[in-house]
Amino acid sequence: MLSQRLIARTVARPAFVPSSLPRIVSSTSRWSRTYASAAEEKDLVIVGGGVAGYVAAIKAGQEGMKVTCIEKRGTLGGTCLNVGCIPSKSLLNNSHLYHQILHDSKHRGIEVGDVKLNLKQLMKAKEQSVSGLTKGVEFLFKKNGVEYIKGAGAFQDEHTIKVQLNDGGETSVRGKNILIATGSEATPFPGLEIDEQRVITSTGAIALEQVPKKLVVIGGGIIGLEMASVWSRLGSQVTVVEFLDQIGGPGMDLEIAKSAQKILKKQGINFKTGTKVLSGDKSGELVKLEVDSAKGGKAETLEADVVLVAIGRRPYTGGLGLENIGLELDERGRVIIDSEYRTKIPHIRCVGDVTFGPMLAHKAEEEAVAVVEYIKKGYGHVNYGCIPSVMYTFPEVAWVGQSEQDLKKAGIKYRVGTFPFSANSRAKTNLDTDGMVKMIADPETDRLLGVHIIGPNAGEMIAEGTLALEYGASSEDIARTCHAHPTLAEAFKEAAMATYAKAIHF
Amino acid sequence: MASIAAAACRASLRLARTQLNRDATARGFRTSAAALAAQNFTMPALSPTMTEGNIAKWQVKEGEKFSAGDVLLEIETDKATMDVEAQEDGILMKIMQGDGTKAIKVGTRIAVIAEEGDDISALNIPADEAPEPKSAAEPAKSEQSPASAAESHSSAPTPAAPKSAPKAHGKGPKRNYPPLPSVLHLLKENGLNESAISNITPTGPNGRILKGDVLAFLGKINSNVPSDISIRFENNSHLDLSNIKVAKAPEPKKVEKKAAPVPEQPKISTVQVSVSLGAVSAVQKQLNKKLRLELPFSSFVFRAADLANERLPRAKPTPDALLNELLGMEKESDYFSRGAYLPDIGTIRLTSTAPAAPKARHAKGSDIIDLLSGTSKPASKPAASAGIISGTATTFSLTVPSAEAERASLFLHRMKVILEEEPDKLVL
Ligand SMILES: Cc1cc2nc3c(=O)[nH]c(=O)nc-3n(C[C@H](O)[C@H](O)[C@H](O)COP(=O)(O)OP(=O)(O)OC[C@H]3O[C@@H](n4cnc5c(N)ncnc54)[C@H](O)[C@@H]3O)c2cc1C
Repeated sequence: MLSQRLIARTVARPAFVPSSLPRIVSSTSRWSRTYASAAEEKDLVIVGGGVAGYVAAIKAGQEGMKVTCIEKRGTLGGTCLNVGCIPSKSLLNNSHLYHQILHDSKHRGIEVGDVKLNLKQLMKAKEQSVSGLTKGVEFLFKKNGVEYIKGAGAFQDEHTIKVQLNDGGETSVRGKNILIATGSEATPFPGLEIDEQRVITSTGAIALEQVPKKLVVIGGGIIGLEMASVWSRLGSQVTVVEFLDQIGGPGMDLEIAKSAQKILKKQGINFKTGTKVLSGDKSGELVKLEVDSAKGGKAETLEADVVLVAIGRRPYTGGLGLENIGLELDERGRVIIDSEYRTKIPHIRCVGDVTFGPMLAHKAEEEAVAVVEYIKKGYGHVNYGCIPSVMYTFPEVAWVGQSEQDLKKAGIKYRVGTFPFSANSRAKTNLDTDGMVKMIADPETDRLLGVHIIGPNAGEMIAEGTLALEYGASSEDIARTCHAHPTLAEAFKEAAMATYAKAIHF
Repeated sequence: MASIAAAACRASLRLARTQLNRDATARGFRTSAAALAAQNFTMPALSPTMTEGNIAKWQVKEGEKFSAGDVLLEIETDKATMDVEAQEDGILMKIMQGDGTKAIKVGTRIAVIAEEGDDISALNIPADEAPEPKSAAEPAKSEQSPASAAESHSSAPTPAAPKSAPKAHGKGPKRNYPPLPSVLHLLKENGLNESAISNITPTGPNGRILKGDVLAFLGKINSNVPSDISIRFENNSHLDLSNIKVAKAPEPKKVEKKAAPVPEQPKISTVQVSVSLGAVSAVQKQLNKKLRLELPFSSFVFRAADLANERLPRAKPTPDALLNELLGMEKESDYFSRGAYLPDIGTIRLTSTAPAAPKARHAKGSDIIDLLSGTSKPASKPAASAGIISGTATTFSLTVPSAEAERASLFLHRMKVILEEEPDKLVL
């Protein structure tokens, strides 16, 4: 019996199996003889130990490749772990707690005495989270046999990276394959020099030593609004200046963005949308900004103790020596790649913030795994239509798939279903009822096209929308899936019901 | 906007459910009689190409119970012998085609099974619903209207829901995961059973049947709507790498300037070879057919170039090599090295860099904000590279310093061999 089953299994294996794709790059072709090159050559050398670089390194180690990761920061984890996602979320979480204790506990029946902010300790808590996580990555390197070189790497030739070691001295590594994962940096504002004290980027904003009396944030995108929230909760008078008419950046659904702006405004953040910063001057005691209504209104001057420049991030390839190997960038500084992340030099690939696509840590992580699979197995996959975005303000904003304005612009028909948290029993119990779930589906097939949430825990809830989208679900599929009661997730289900039929509780 | 207390929520929810159940019962597609029904068990298709099979041996006797996972019988095809396992518990009520029966068409009844716990003596043998010798291998694009489908099923003595339909192991029917809730609901609501699924064209990820596919099958929406949406999803799933504008490269120029005074400009030659891409195109088609994999032409070229670049003879020995030769210490690497060539092909450029100079978009009065917020959507897609593959020869060329011409030409010839003779090796 067993033998027969074996027969069946053998025959049944389809002729084309992606996973059986051989390693193209290192395959023994008929031209390579048995000569091994003299110097020890790694299977993969990675420049940059951010999310893209470290994930690729660990994955390559797990795949049995000889891999080296070069990082100049001194710690692993890149922007995300050191000065991005992680520290900002620590500050967001703790500032929210502080703000809630201060303003939101009394009517819940909790009376506290003197509430004091200890900014030093708040920062220390943040640093603890950061160092725990970056050390964790270092441990994972050891566990997976990844060589870690602390220093700045630059291309010497197409196979060699020269490293200026952090501890002084120099070394070089050769790689059969090389991965560029050098990430991004804050885009500076022309004419306003960054000193990270009074004119700061997000890196300065997560490390201020005192709460500024007046903070002006240039740029109402996700990073700007998160930092605006932190310092506003801690006591700053915050004004956000945004060139577009909408906050949240271009990906956020307009209706949700409007709702977010209203809620954040209620929390005390000032907004100047449709407003352009013309110039800045930090010679005086306060930093001065000349702003102008984008639609030609009257100009005015804003003053602030601290100005946060959060107008976006740009790919970073400084000192990488791309000119030595003739690699080109596009007009926005992105390393040019093909759909398998190859640059025009096929054994040099590139993933993460430094190349195309949204600048998000989980996107970088997906690509890192895929690129190693391409190198090792000849096939990898990232579904760019299904990458969630989250803004960790309170309430959170999260979305995946297409927004209403996207669809309108593309002339695609759609159907919308919404459900407000004010009709959700858990949100009511928690006295956190701001926000809603909005679903967009194809009007004929009911296939889900996008999910947009503003509300408590939206960032966790979006995972369900992402899964549904990845599997091609219809809103009815979500509506027919049982959701625990009472949970916020029931609002998700009800929005699905509202999309294909009718919500029960609204 | 009314917000409702938690308790009330639960009650109304439950109500809604009962309502729903009653609805379904009233329609009578699925009645309590179902519980008493025996079901036809037909010859399964164990591979997409299987049209008929032989019964090697029944492993369960008439009247015997079986449990999920038990092997019910062995089926022989021209390729292999395969076990057919039960997916749920049940009773083998009657064997219609005994051991050794040959050439039974897929879909023909071979046995009748009952549900676990049924009293088989009290059950009727259902009518044989086997279709006219319609081979199941032909993707039956049913033109049947939903109404008639419902009729034929409700008039049949049993709903014949193959709940305990045994599942073939190995190269069996492709979709063995549970259908999406909406799909199942729509089928039932329209008097169809799960087996109708095999007639529905899936457009979901990994061949999954979506609600829209059932709606199209039922004729409730235009039949090409689901696939049009799928194409949109497919397009959104990729990074948009069309219309890349290469930055004016100031850096290389600087380097050039510095280096320029020293050596005289090397002579440039162009080498070329004509390559027939018919074989590549055939492999692409095959991949697409068998795996639904769209491997772009450029991937073949990149992979071929990767191989062809291996161990190319150096244009001229390095000073190091000459020294080594003197010392009798020649190394492989003195004479060979990896190339970094990528051929220019016909009119397309493989770097996917649009050669066009950046347009003077930010001509006047523009600043960083304009640049950041400017959503300059590229309007035109670049010429699809697949378009040039017609089986006719295409020119691969390289422009290199004359000293390298031999090296480059060897590279091109390797490309030609790989792409013409065994492009399948690049993906297999
Ligand atoms: C304030 C802030 C908050 C953010 N919050 C989120 C969030 O909540 N969720 C989210 O998904 N994303 C968030 N991001 C974005 C996220 O941080 C990035 O998308 C992510 O870090 C990209 O990873 P990466 O590996 O491509 O690049 P990076 O993380 O930038 O890593 C690149 C690394 O390469 C190193 N490097 C560069 N050049 C060299 C060289 N020549 N030699 C050696 N090393 C070099 C750099 O030191 C750096 O450590 C946030 C970013 C910021 C700034």
